[in-house]
Amino acid sequence: MTAAVLSVRDLSVRFRMRGDRHVAAVTGASFDLAAGECLALVGESGCGKSVLASALLGLLPGNAQTAGSATVDGLELLGADERTLARSVRGRRVALVPQSPAAHLTPVRTVGAQLEETLRALTATPRRELRRAAVAAAERAAFPASHLDRYPHELSGGLAQRAATALALIGDAPLLLADEPTTGLDRDLVNRTVDELRRHTDDGATGRALLMITHDLAAAERIADRVAVMYAGRIVEIAEARTFFGEPGPLHPYARGLLAALPERDFTPIPGMPPELGDLPDGCAFAARCDRATGLCATRPDFASGLACHHPAAVPGERSAAHA
Amino acid sequence: MLELDTITAGYDRLRPVVREVSLTLAPGEAVGLLGPSGCGKSTLAKVAALLHRPYAGRVVIDGEPARGWRHTAPRAQRTAIGVVFQQPRMSADPRLPLRDLIAEPLRATGRRDEVPARVGELADTVGLTGELLGRRPHEVSDGQLQRACLARALVLRPRWLICDEMTAMLDASTTAALVAVVEEYRAAEGAGLLAVGHDSILLERWCDRTVHWQTPPTD
Amino acid sequence: MADTLWRSTGRTRRSTRTVRISFSAVTVAAVVLAVLIVPPLAQLDEQAVDLSKKLLPPSWEHPFGTDDVGRDLLLRCVYGLRISLLVGLVAALVATVVGTLVGAAAAAFGGWTDRIVMRLVDTFASVPHLLLGIFIVAMFRPGVWPVIASVALTHWLSTARIVRSEVLSLRSRPFVDAAISGGASRLRLTARHLLPSVLPQAGLAAVLMVPHAMWHESALSFLGLGLPTHQASLGNLVQSARSSLLAGDWWPTLFPGLFLIIPTLAIAGLAGAWRERINPRRRSELML
Repeated sequence: MTAAVLSVRDLSVRFRMRGDRHVAAVTGASFDLAAGECLALVGESGCGKSVLASALLGLLPGNAQTAGSATVDGLELLGADERTLARSVRGRRVALVPQSPAAHLTPVRTVGAQLEETLRALTATPRRELRRAAVAAAERAAFPASHLDRYPHELSGGLAQRAATALALIGDAPLLLADEPTTGLDRDLVNRTVDELRRHTDDGATGRALLMITHDLAAAERIADRVAVMYAGRIVEIAEARTFFGEPGPLHPYARGLLAALPERDFTPIPGMPPELGDLPDGCAFAARCDRATGLCATRPDFASGLACHHPAAVPGERSAAHA
Repeated sequence: MLELDTITAGYDRLRPVVREVSLTLAPGEAVGLLGPSGCGKSTLAKVAALLHRPYAGRVVIDGEPARGWRHTAPRAQRTAIGVVFQQPRMSADPRLPLRDLIAEPLRATGRRDEVPARVGELADTVGLTGELLGRRPHEVSDGQLQRACLARALVLRPRWLICDEMTAMLDASTTAALVAVVEEYRAAEGAGLLAVGHDSILLERWCDRTVHWQTPPTD
Repeated sequence: MADTLWRSTGRTRRSTRTVRISFSAVTVAAVVLAVLIVPPLAQLDEQAVDLSKKLLPPSWEHPFGTDDVGRDLLLRCVYGLRISLLVGLVAALVATVVGTLVGAAAAAFGGWTDRIVMRLVDTFASVPHLLLGIFIVAMFRPGVWPVIASVALTHWLSTARIVRSEVLSLRSRPFVDAAISGGASRLRLTARHLLPSVLPQAGLAAVLMVPHAMWHESALSFLGLGLPTHQASLGNLVQSARSSLLAGDWWPTLFPGLFLIIPTLAIAGLAGAWRERINPRRRSELML
């Protein structure tokens, strides 16, 4: 087992609101991510998964407070000052593959010019070699060199996504962070986009770590090694993708419900809606919507062996034993 | 019947994105229109909802040809068709609390007195609870906002419903919940549905029949 | 988890901004209070000439000194600020209302209406607006209303442009499609969805225009084309102090100048804070 590239321990983020209220967007998230591994963080909109990504990039708004720790390559990200974030985190340790690549690229400059600028900022490439380095950087993301002189609006959605990925890969960051990389794309484009992300994860001697935040379970199934399910700000289950999507399936009732809601499965929604992050119950946040809930669920289940549930579909130990 | 008859439409007369497309929906029928991103299916959806004037072709709603587009379409024709768009955040007036967002079509058509009963009933149907209704769009999640947008589309009891990539930004459970609301409404009112999207698994499960977008011959 | 250690991510710039805002707010409050309270309370007549006291430097009795005919400058400055502020406020208000209506109408109707109205705006804007303002005041007798008309009529153009482009960008949003599909009439769409969304922008333009309009009034008065010379406007005060400045008497120029600069900066400061408030509201604060 290789050492973790990203190590998150008890990460919490809350927002200070008017009237001394707090909204607990992320609570007690812990996980490790190794090089060459892809972890998909799934959950419904508003469950806190984008906040977690913003925390790793130091992009939280001014009214946010953080607790716990998140290290990449041994460097603590939480509480790092703006200078550290700009100089040694963004682009160098953590690279972002954005949700809408078209909005992420500067509209008034060609893709080639943007690649060269990023190369100048992040690497020590001599000026006369910039063009060649830009071509090489484009190639890594399968962006055709013949299109380097085009402006972002002259590119198709797929090519814009590759251009943004090429930019993200320049700094050779050990951690790739993809925040909803497939929203609004059709299935073919989703498959191509995530396949390329997977390729970048496996690339090189050790590979990169890929944290993909998505609500698209099919995209997660396609490329993830492990899946983390987030509900109401907490990670409720982390499992191997193989057992999660295949047999025996997820253990947490929420994760089971999420999978069952897929049109290729039961197509039945989980009843009710998630609780407000500003007004979470003391016990299990899913109890109100759960058909397995009992009086025990009024106390919060601990997160142990990759699961936080009093009444899982199977005992976590049995599952790992079955696949040992 | 909702008939789209040899529609040609787009944003540049020389290069229309929709070329001579015809499609007919029977009352109570659910039709899925499948096509890749950017193929023009959303433009066709806007034409069907009388929100975009086509260059050629006609739209016939319940036997009556459309006599205008956008504001020039008679109100009765416009409101016979409910629409839900892909991005809830763009399709909600950012200043209106969800309650007013849902009630707006009733107020705009002078049916104020129906507001309390109808909004309450629809909020229940789409699963929005009391306190959420008082919030404005930036205070709720995409999923919650799309629930309100669906309620708004149903508030005037349209005979036809057009869902343009309604669930593209939503998680599996919210998707299934919103589709269930649409199906419940269709069963109760006998409304016809045109669901536009790119997810064939979803549309084939949801609709009675699906139509694949034919790439128009380029000349 | 009561013992969780929370770290703030808030940037330190926040506090300097707070200082700037409160400084601006206090100044604006003081100015408004001064121009409202001082004139009725002061027993002195700002017009009273006392040639035995002409051009006295600042002292306890006359903190700002006196002018070349012995009038108290502090009192004249307050009166001047009062007139300038009044002209600025009314002119900015008129310009904003006219600009908003014209801009919104052009965008809402579109087509030929839009083309004709915007060409008209371009034509007006191609003439230097101080020149146009001079032309307008020159047609009337010196007085408050010609100055207000001159400033207002030359300043609605930018507001009309801002409002038009804002309404145009709103009009292409799906929520407008949803409103039309929900049966909203053209009037209702404009009144309920489009105008209220641009009002914060228009209001901001109005506040930013107040200092600008005050400077314009001063410029016109300084050129002798604005208010009647006996009226204590800030422009007139600076104008009449020119001769004494050449003789080395600095106070009749300095104090009216400060009275023009500080309140206008404070108003602009407040407007800047407002702009920061209304802009980032587009996306959810909670990043939901």
